Amino acid sequence: MIIEIKEQDGGMKAILNGRLDTPAAVKAQQEIGPLLENADKEIVFDCTNLEYISSSGLRLFLTIRKEASVKGGKVIIENINDEIRKVFMMTGFFNLFEIRNA
Amino acid sequence: MNEKTDSELKEGIILKRQLTLPNDIKTIPQLSEFIEGIGEELDMDMSLIMSLNLALEEAVVNVMEYAYAPGTQGNVCIKTTANETQIEFIIIDSGIPFDPTKKEEVDITMSAEERPIGGLGIHLVREIMDTVNYEYKDNKNILTLSKKIK
Repeated sequence: MIIEIKEQDGGMKAILNGRLDTPAAVKAQQEIGPLLENADKEIVFDCTNLEYISSSGLRLFLTIRKEASVKGGKVIIENINDEIRKVFMMTGFFNLFEIRNA
Repeated sequence: MNEKTDSELKEGIILKRQLTLPNDIKTIPQLSEFIEGIGEELDMDMSLIMSLNLALEEAVVNVMEYAYAPGTQGNVCIKTTANETQIEFIIIDSGIPFDPTKKEEVDITMSAEERPIGGLGIHLVREIMDTVNYEYKDNKNILTLSKKIK
């Protein structure tokens, strides 16, 4: 499973695993309902085990970020690896999210 | 394939590979395997393999999603040629003429609220590759991507 969603204090946590390529992102798109519904709260993406992301994965983050800005929530992205950091830099996504490293 | 889709790289070729996929995004993992295999064979570092993988995924997904009318089967062919210093990928489909290089550049300084959802794929291709060239010939879209590897 590429995305695992849990409730946590004050919001939601989404744990991403493996490769978020186009087919995985299309599948994950069907599963982000609980995150969109809770976009008035804090949503934390744990990317410790995320190996790869393509633009369709980035779109997933942006969709949730847009919903959060409408509903007044917050999106935090934790522990992206160097390769994913590069992709965030190339697309300007680095400035759109709160990015934390543990 | 005919000489019109032949590589521009002529001298010192050390690798030639070809992959044909149907217009089904579920086959993208096969593309990753193909790129990883090439990367290992050419002794590239993981970071370069990952970047090439990403550029190729974006370019090929673009064909899979837009070249053929919904419900129509079609193929996308990826021809790879490398010499010691450069790698070239020629992506060929026989779908509707579409030049992705004509797509407007996304403004990556926009806020999340203003950002359109799409357009990032071709932006990533441009960012990663050194050259991106499009031609339409013999009823085929031909997109040539190249990058220095050494």
